[in-house]
Amino acid sequence: MQLTINIVVLAAIYALICCGYVLIYRVSRVMSLAHGELMMLGAYGLFATAGTFSGHPLIAIAVAAVLATMVGVLVYVALMRSMTGEAVLAAVLATIALGIFLRGAMVLVWSAQEQHPIRLLGWTNSAVSIGETARISAAALVLVVVTALAYLSLYFFLKYTVWGIRMRAAGQNPLLAAQRGIGLHGIYALAWALATFTGGIAGMLIASDTALDQTMIIIGLKAFPAALVGGLDSLLGALIGSLIVAAAEVLMIHYIDPLLADVVPFFVLLVFLIVRPWGLYGSKEELDRV
Amino acid sequence: MADALLVVEQLEVVYQRVITAVQGVSLRVEKGQIVALLGTNGAGKTTTLRAISGFIGMDDARVTEGTVTYKGERIENLPPHGVTSLGIVLVPERQKVFENLTVAENLDANVARVVKGFDRKRLAASVYEYFPALARLRSREAGYLSGGERQMLGIGAALMCAPEMLLVDELSLGLSPIMVSELMQRLLAIRRELGTTILLVEQNAQVALDIADYGYVIENGRIVLDGTPERLSSHQDIKEFYLGGGSTRRSYRDVKQYRRSRRWYG
Ligand SMILES: Nc1ncnc2c1ncn2[C@@H]1O[C@H](COP(=O)(O)OP(=O)(O)OP(=O)(O)O)[C@@H](O)[C@H]1O
Ligand SMILES: [Mg+2]
Repeated sequence: MQLTINIVVLAAIYALICCGYVLIYRVSRVMSLAHGELMMLGAYGLFATAGTFSGHPLIAIAVAAVLATMVGVLVYVALMRSMTGEAVLAAVLATIALGIFLRGAMVLVWSAQEQHPIRLLGWTNSAVSIGETARISAAALVLVVVTALAYLSLYFFLKYTVWGIRMRAAGQNPLLAAQRGIGLHGIYALAWALATFTGGIAGMLIASDTALDQTMIIIGLKAFPAALVGGLDSLLGALIGSLIVAAAEVLMIHYIDPLLADVVPFFVLLVFLIVRPWGLYGSKEELDRV
Repeated sequence: MADALLVVEQLEVVYQRVITAVQGVSLRVEKGQIVALLGTNGAGKTTTLRAISGFIGMDDARVTEGTVTYKGERIENLPPHGVTSLGIVLVPERQKVFENLTVAENLDANVARVVKGFDRKRLAASVYEYFPALARLRSREAGYLSGGERQMLGIGAALMCAPEMLLVDELSLGLSPIMVSELMQRLLAIRRELGTTILLVEQNAQVALDIADYGYVIENGRIVLDGTPERLSSHQDIKEFYLGGGSTRRSYRDVKQYRRSRRWYG
């Protein structure tokens, strides 16, 4: 039972991080390798607002979420926008550079010391019992719920709203999308905003559950294989990929060796790259129909 | 003179900084007209339409010379969505539908020009009226459509942008003669009922000249001939190379360069 809960919580963490990878890749074919850092920036955002609006935890969270969203728009407008239409590799390299820059900047501003934004909010992360023997921390429970909500809303957004449909259209064929009046910059900025929003929320919740320090970047990195296993351009794939990677990781830790934790996602990825290179739900080579 | 809806003047387009695909194309389209742009493979028809509708970075194409003026406004350096929002919408030659979206989603995805009293639902309904075949296929993924259905969806989706002017690239490509004349009739109906101006690129000169008010012939990136459909269809060289008639068979290279006929229009 406890094992199942651990798997679900870890899968939820990966899945919430993954939707950022998937959204950005889906619209622009760019893998954002700064996602872990952006996630951490979101968490530090909460740390900062919790200090500023002490006594008003909900306001602090709301402001932090807005900030995280704005960071995405800013990253797109200031950095990625000029890469539109350039080789994808250049854009990926730009995200790597951004990640390195952010990592350095965050250490400078907030030092490498472990922080606990949840304490500043005035809350404690108490554990909730499930059944006889199993327990889940409040923050982890919220995380699972938030992940479920995020995926449901993204699904409805992409499937049923015009902007969601436009986002899918732009991801498939940017030229045709532009010819049909869809402003690509707006779509890309929206994807980045959604990615840093969900990633930032993930960062805040992870920081609330454990602590806020540099290890968060590693969590972000470990979520990347989950997205790849799912195929990178499918939300359903990301969800299932997260489950697979999380299950493998938790079981390995439990039955073999806790030290394996950081290796397992990449090992799973390797296996998948050999067996099914396009991922579980990724689009295979597109057939040209005339 | 200056009040034509679209005026292209001495247009020159270069691909990848070195390949000149179009050099010195000039043409004009009056409001409410159907104008045909004819030419053989590689003549520069698609390039001309693409230059009007706007390039994006990954095309690696540039308008290096000349101007495109729409309602008195220069548009040759606008991005495609800017051109579309002004009311010029392209139905591209090849990729004209979003393959992984359903037919209905293909119609919904478009951003319409800002018009008073615009009603997306009503416009979609009228698209399904122009192309009843699409109504049955509403929830079908566009990637599975036949060539004719794709062409209908391409035009229908362009109509969802509330265009004042349609640029249609090779309507006849890969379609049966019946389907082609059917679609040409639809274009006529669209022009009649919505008042849409149409610039029609075709290799199949006959079907285009049948519905056009005016025509241009482009060759090696230059306009070599223009005139009314009657005049063009009776032109000796047109007969030979585009209409499949003509008295003696001559090899293409033997033909002397078309005499650049004076414009006697506009
Ligand atoms: N993206 C591109 N890069 C380089 N050259 C190109 C590109 N697109 C077109 N060309 C060249 O420009 C010239 C004109 O091409 P264009 O597609 O405009 O011809 P077309 O008249 O539309 O022909 P078709 O009837 O075969 O469609 C051709 O010689 C073609 O090889
Ligand atoms: Mg062409």
